[in-house]
Amino acid sequence: MAAEVDTKKRAQGEGDQGLIVKPMYTAARQFMKSLVRPSTIVYPFERLEDPKFRGEVRVASGKPIGVGEVWDNYRGVHALNINTCISCNLCAFSCPDLCIDMVTVPGGDPKHPKKCPEIDYGKCSYCGFCSDACPEGCLTMTTRYELSVTKRSDMVYSPQKMFDQFQRKLPMNPIRLARPANEDAILLDAPLCIGCNACSRDCPTNCITMLDIPKGTPKPGEKPAKRIWKEPVINDSDCVRCGTCISVCPKECLFWGTHT
Amino acid sequence: MALTTLWDVAYFLASALLTLVGRVIPPLAAPLSNGDVIWGLSALVFGAILLAASMINTIMLIWFERKMLGRFMDRRGAMHVGYAGLLQNFADGLKLFRKNTFKPREADELGFYAGPIAYMVTSLLMFGVLPISTGWSDGSLPLSMLLALVIFSFAPLFIFISAWSSNNKYSLMGGMRSAAQMIAYEVPILLAVVAVVLVSGSFDLNTIVAEQQNYWFWGPLVLAMVVFAIGMLAEMERIPFDLPEAEAELVEGWNTEYGGMLFAFFMLADYLRALAGSFLIVLLFLGGWTLPTYVPSALTTFPLAGIFWFLVKTYAVFGVFVWIRAALPRVRTDQLLRIGWMRMIPLSLAAVVLAAALVLVKCLPVFGCIPSMGG
Ligand code: SF4
Ligand code: SF4
Ligand code: SF4
Repeated sequence: MAAEVDTKKRAQGEGDQGLIVKPMYTAARQFMKSLVRPSTIVYPFERLEDPKFRGEVRVASGKPIGVGEVWDNYRGVHALNINTCISCNLCAFSCPDLCIDMVTVPGGDPKHPKKCPEIDYGKCSYCGFCSDACPEGCLTMTTRYELSVTKRSDMVYSPQKMFDQFQRKLPMNPIRLARPANEDAILLDAPLCIGCNACSRDCPTNCITMLDIPKGTPKPGEKPAKRIWKEPVINDSDCVRCGTCISVCPKECLFWGTHT
Repeated sequence: MALTTLWDVAYFLASALLTLVGRVIPPLAAPLSNGDVIWGLSALVFGAILLAASMINTIMLIWFERKMLGRFMDRRGAMHVGYAGLLQNFADGLKLFRKNTFKPREADELGFYAGPIAYMVTSLLMFGVLPISTGWSDGSLPLSMLLALVIFSFAPLFIFISAWSSNNKYSLMGGMRSAAQMIAYEVPILLAVVAVVLVSGSFDLNTIVAEQQNYWFWGPLVLAMVVFAIGMLAEMERIPFDLPEAEAELVEGWNTEYGGMLFAFFMLADYLRALAGSFLIVLLFLGGWTLPTYVPSALTTFPLAGIFWFLVKTYAVFGVFVWIRAALPRVRTDQLLRIGWMRMIPLSLAAVVLAAALVLVKCLPVFGCIPSMGG
């Protein structure tokens, strides 16, 4: 039995040399390599996403972890720049999990409160759609991946909390998918408009101006139309296509279309 | 009184303590200055110093192994408790100490509890005879090396007792493997020691070290040292010879059923034996606490230099054991026994013959001229 094993070993060229010398050498080499700094990242104290590890720590295949590899594409906790958010609601509209609530944050006027997204990470699937939709680039995804909390309610990140993430200046990943130029525009079905100013008031980018129009003359036998003689004009280059005006219009006279 | 030996230190401490007590409580002064009382207390202090020295060294040894093994595996090892994890083992010990020890219902009570304790005690006993510097032991034991080896070979008995009393098939198998292995490797170890005895002409560890003043024995006795080191690996049950506790096959081997403090005893005793084995290698082959004479004397004359260099050598030897553990795979039982009986014993016999030949042709002083061997 023993002799058989030996023959087999010899056939594979694995004598004592292969069984003792080689592993000893390999171990010693590994020891020397990690004498100064083993590859272990001392996790809570050091983090792989720390830029200082970029290009330095390598995966088994020898590729460096870092630039263009993992972290540039990572979708972790969101960072929100409250200051540039225009409360357009697009993030909330685009979320497939309905985990974004728009909540009031200080900074708006009483009539026109400023609303920013609040994300429930208990539901979020980190798809990045919200970040993609955000016209201002103020909602981005960071490399932060730690979410453990002791209460379920702590999973809900208020805008302020996401602003804190923003201020930590973690590597951020503005998810912007390449897409064709948006040819959609807000069009007005003029005869229906009553000039109520709702669209202009709620437009987050203030791109709607109410222009005076000539007073219409009532047809014989009819009462003069009860309306304000103004009509919205939309500045397409400022419009972020959030659709807020469409949803606030009481007469449903705004609609999506293309300029002809 | 010059405090040159450990006994002097113990005696000094004991008499100082007793004098102090006598000062504070005058009626006790007379009975406490009795020579026998001082002698008894200094014996206790002596033992306590030995105990503390061996325990602290053992625990540092575990730390050393954890750190080194970590580096071999490209990780860091213990690092949070104390500086660089130095106190981690104390924390682990404390945790084990606080744990409930339990006994399987069918286990034999006496053997189950007595086994680990006896194992631990005999492992500690060894440090009473292993000198780590001049004056550590008073040299009144002309057979101290034999005594150390005898105590060393108690282990399989107690391991087998605890394995048998655990009433668990894995424990029993581990215990049987352990006994077979230790008995098989006892023979080459003793033969390698015979080579040392032939060259040094003494069984006293102090004399053996003194004989290495001119050349360390690993030069002439390199074969004996290799045999001794491999045998020690098997005696310590370290990888690649750790099959008595082969985790993959036997759960945890003969200490499967032990938990809490009793398990800690086993662990500690294992490392005590590892420390004693490294001590023995340093004492027998690496010149003990001596350094080669071409080393500048500043390195050898500072206080406690002997202990310092002895420990440096010990940790280096243990480092090699850790290296082996990191690199080599575990052997099978049949391979282990075949290596023991069919390779180690002939090799050790060859080592004995070689040593005898060297002594006969009186060419040993040659080694004193080779710088790397001392002298
Ligand atoms: S990442 Fe996706 S799921 Fe999460 S909030 Fe944004 S849109 Fe919703
Ligand atoms: S999409 Fe961007 S700008 Fe609009 S509400 Fe959300 S975060 Fe604010
Ligand atoms: S909200 Fe509608 S009805 Fe009101 S001004 Fe705008 S387009 Fe006209």
